[in-house]
Amino acid sequence: MSQAQSRFVYVSYIRATPERLWAALTQPEFTKQYWSGVSPISTWEKGADWQLVLESGRVADTGSILESDPPRRLVIQWLCHMREDFTAEGYSRCTIELEPMGDAVELTIAHENDHPNSPFIYEGVGTGWPAIISSLKSLLETGEVLTMQ
Amino acid sequence: MSDGDELIVPPDVVYITYIRTTPRRVWDALTQSAFTKQFFFGRTVESDWKQGSPWRLIMPDGKTDVAGRILISDPPHKLQVTWVVEWFDDAPKEPAIITYDIERAGDLVKLTMTQHTDAKIPRKFLEGGKQGWAAILSSLKSLLETGEALTIKMGPPQ
Repeated sequence: MSQAQSRFVYVSYIRATPERLWAALTQPEFTKQYWSGVSPISTWEKGADWQLVLESGRVADTGSILESDPPRRLVIQWLCHMREDFTAEGYSRCTIELEPMGDAVELTIAHENDHPNSPFIYEGVGTGWPAIISSLKSLLETGEVLTMQ
Repeated sequence: MSDGDELIVPPDVVYITYIRTTPRRVWDALTQSAFTKQFFFGRTVESDWKQGSPWRLIMPDGKTDVAGRILISDPPHKLQVTWVVEWFDDAPKEPAIITYDIERAGDLVKLTMTQHTDAKIPRKFLEGGKQGWAAILSSLKSLLETGEALTIKMGPPQ
């Protein structure tokens, strides 16, 4: 396997079952709450198309499902359309893994591409994932999302 | 020699989490044993948290886990300490520097933990450290938002 040029990894421990966390990651009724109105659209089967759609209807990201093993592992081939320079970097891979540990699930998100010092990976998803996953964790543990400024 | 034994100067470890709380409550949670023993794998802390003072992280059996000095103390915004692991003999003796930046963001706090070191360490410690901070700071967030820390069963780094 070739080594990615740029890679951001975020790990969070969330008091939930893997099934509940999987649903929160894949169902728009959850994502809209903790991810500023964003909806993922996919059947989540291997080979299926995948999109992230903003509240305005604009398609922010497109791609496909490379691997799907609910509720354990999901790999998405991911192209961002929000900034020209991000799009020019080409496809990234986002690997999402869920592992039960005690009363929590260890959620690991590894987002990588083959662009050296990638602005998409380090500025884009590197600042995005900590905020999104913090809000998701609050939703599942307290019933309330975080309101980001 | 396995890959895990290879000596490398690690890149900074940075972990960011957003917590629905106040900067003062985050500061208290990081510096008072009543909180740390709940979210920091049962450990207590000992210091007057003034610049230049020593500090210690103490295991439940009373042994010192980590010792160091306070480099910056600006409650409740910034805490920077040196960090020398004491509990096993082949730990690096050159201190790591741990910085907590506590920033208000609306009704939230953005907590940024940065671990910096110039010492070469075995690759396996680096991987263990990353997972450790995520677990500790996830548990801190749960404690401050729900009143209950997480129970995470985790082995030592392999």
